[in-house]
Amino acid sequence: MNIAVLIKQVPDSTEVKINPETGTLIRAGVPSILNPYDHYALEAALELKRKHNFKVTVVSMGPPQAKAVVQLALALGADEGVLLSDMAFAGSDTWATSYALAKGIKKLGKMDIIFAGMQAIDGDTAQTGPAVAQQLGIPQITFCEHVEVDGRRILARKQIDGGHELLEARPSVLITMIMGKDWAPKHPSFPAVHASLKKPFHVWSAADVGAEAQYLGLKGSPTQVNKIYPPPQREKAAMFSGSGQQGVEKILEVLKAEHFIGE
Amino acid sequence: MASIDAISRGLMLDSLKEYAKRRIPYDLLRELDEKNEFPADILKEMYDPEILGVHLLMIPEEYGGVSGGTYDIYRVCEQLARIDLGIATGVFATFLGTDPLNVGGTEEQKEKWLTRIAKEKLLVAYGATEPDAGSDLVNLRTRAEHVVKNGKIVGYRVTGNKQWISNGGVADLYTILAMAPGGPSWFLVEKGMEGFSPNKHEDKHGIRLSNTAGLSLDNVYVPAENLIGMEEGKGLLQAQAVFGYTRLMVAAFGLGAGTEALEQAVRYSQQRIQAGTPLSEKQGYTHKLIVPHACRLEAARSYIEYTAGRLDGGEHGLQTEGAIAKYTATEGGNRMAEDAVQALGGYGYTKDFPVEKIKRDIKITCIYEGTSEIMEMTIYRGRWQEHLKTRGRYYLDQADQLDALHAQVPGVGAHAAALALRALGAIMEECRVQKLTRHQHVTFKLGRLIADAEVAACFARAAAQQKYGETVRFDKDAWQAMARVFAREAALSTAVQGLALVLGAADQAGNLADAMNLEAVQAEQKGNVADMDLVAAKLKQTFKAK
Repeated sequence: MNIAVLIKQVPDSTEVKINPETGTLIRAGVPSILNPYDHYALEAALELKRKHNFKVTVVSMGPPQAKAVVQLALALGADEGVLLSDMAFAGSDTWATSYALAKGIKKLGKMDIIFAGMQAIDGDTAQTGPAVAQQLGIPQITFCEHVEVDGRRILARKQIDGGHELLEARPSVLITMIMGKDWAPKHPSFPAVHASLKKPFHVWSAADVGAEAQYLGLKGSPTQVNKIYPPPQREKAAMFSGSGQQGVEKILEVLKAEHFIGE
Repeated sequence: MASIDAISRGLMLDSLKEYAKRRIPYDLLRELDEKNEFPADILKEMYDPEILGVHLLMIPEEYGGVSGGTYDIYRVCEQLARIDLGIATGVFATFLGTDPLNVGGTEEQKEKWLTRIAKEKLLVAYGATEPDAGSDLVNLRTRAEHVVKNGKIVGYRVTGNKQWISNGGVADLYTILAMAPGGPSWFLVEKGMEGFSPNKHEDKHGIRLSNTAGLSLDNVYVPAENLIGMEEGKGLLQAQAVFGYTRLMVAAFGLGAGTEALEQAVRYSQQRIQAGTPLSEKQGYTHKLIVPHACRLEAARSYIEYTAGRLDGGEHGLQTEGAIAKYTATEGGNRMAEDAVQALGGYGYTKDFPVEKIKRDIKITCIYEGTSEIMEMTIYRGRWQEHLKTRGRYYLDQADQLDALHAQVPGVGAHAAALALRALGAIMEECRVQKLTRHQHVTFKLGRLIADAEVAACFARAAAQQKYGETVRFDKDAWQAMARVFAREAALSTAVQGLALVLGAADQAGNLADAMNLEAVQAEQKGNVADMDLVAAKLKQTFKAK
């Protein structure tokens, strides 16, 4: 089988701050990482490669510096890497992005399984994976934690409220992955990084994948970000001291005054 | 030397950081430090090509390595030092022990040994120092006698003692310097050879995770093919050839451990409230314990990168530059660690906080690979020759260049650096005229002044660049302010200390004060407190409290 994994470079959210005046993310000096969900999805794909000797191709879209996550995936064991990079892609929402990614995948040829992280930690939309399935006209299974392949059967274990759902699909299918516990995200050794430089790595423009300008960027995006702002800071909690009885009385008093409970 | 591309380097550094985060938390470091224990399993994992393969950086691609350049090795050494200087030293010893092979080995020797080091995860040790021979390796006592069979030298009998050998008790392979009939030579000695035994692991002040031991060689038979380069008498040259480079690695250690201490102090200072405000808001705290060190460390970084760039560009030797880098970064790092303990107050004095350990660990960087005093001497010797050769123009010409830079890019400390260089030129000339270098004190002190002035000039040039390198974590405003603070300090200390030096050694100072342009040096100090305010604020912004 041929497997594609959709990956994204994101700012390390533990270090991101929002500028309260402009409402934009302060990205300066914030390290970039491979989206953790995509990292898990990649490990799932590489596990299938180890078991069945499948070919794994990673596909990403982003500015030139996003090469780093594609090379990381190659160092971890992926066979081929593609970065869709073009000014024409800038400003794309999830739909325009999925259009471009689908074009890139089509150029690579038929993919039996397409993996994606369930969402990226910067946008948190969880739309891009499903939208790629839509663009390609193939079925999708979302929020999976484990995938096995048996012949032509693709078996996915999906997390649902209070249990698991086991689903089966035939190629081609798109699967989005949650961060499960079956594979720990790995980091490549020095020689693995060095060897990854020799693997095929393509940087493709919009023209290279035959993507039309009208479906790309801000122009091709049905949704636009209106505003990003940090949640309002919580007001300071009021602290009361005294005995248990006094405390209870005081709290009752406040709850009544704020009309949380009646008299 | 080849270099690794920025993305690959970034991935390697990330992997190293992640490994340390997962496998070497502070609690473990603390326990090993207390037990004075070398973590052999961790080192073997770090050498495992499936896990990290960090030692492969030193080994060329054709022998199974990844062909790291000087810049790459500096970056990895800095990161290792931020994790633990003992572990860093264990890795460094392998780098160092591999060096004589890289520099002087024959093709066959490289093929055989470098491949083995790469594949078999060999820990290597570098055996040069002896009880009576440190930086003065000419006093070498270890002897290598010929073993002759059928009129042919088939091997050597090596006898002697080595001291303070990093990885001494745990290495698989040793490069040993011994006096052969044809002169000092390097030999490859394997663990377990008959007559070869390591002594006890030393009980050290710091870097207690690094194994340090003496070595006893009692008539050890070493086959002739283990003579590095297959030629006797090349040992000292082979050792000297890499000093610029190896000292740069130790410089990176001082920088890394010092920067770690700085970050911890800055983060702490935002949480500790005294008299209603955090310590990070108080000049009495920041401008004494933090800001000057931060500026010095960034200055040292610029100099390390400058020197690494020249070595990667194909230059050889650079002993003086290696010494300036080591001296500035290790002394600066050591002082930062000392003040980080002070900055954390009572907490800093306990083992619950890593700065206590950093302070003990970092001291070694001022000692090994040549003490700070040997650095002062080396720096003085190298530049004194330049001063004489150029008839005193060496620093004056550089000062002219810095002033030209100042005209183009004001605000990076270039003028202050020019003042420091001019003052230095004047002091050296006065020392020449009055023959003051007959005093060793004068020569060593000159070494120190030279380092400060040259590093200030280097930092100004770096801060004037359009685009900063990948290691600069501050914005232009902050980095330029740091360059100004450092250059002002360099100008002032060069002038004042230089004057004191000459006055103390000579009968009279002539018109030295005029030649140094003391008035301009004074005028240049204007705005320093405001710059330090800016640096303190930016440090807080960059290293936020966790």
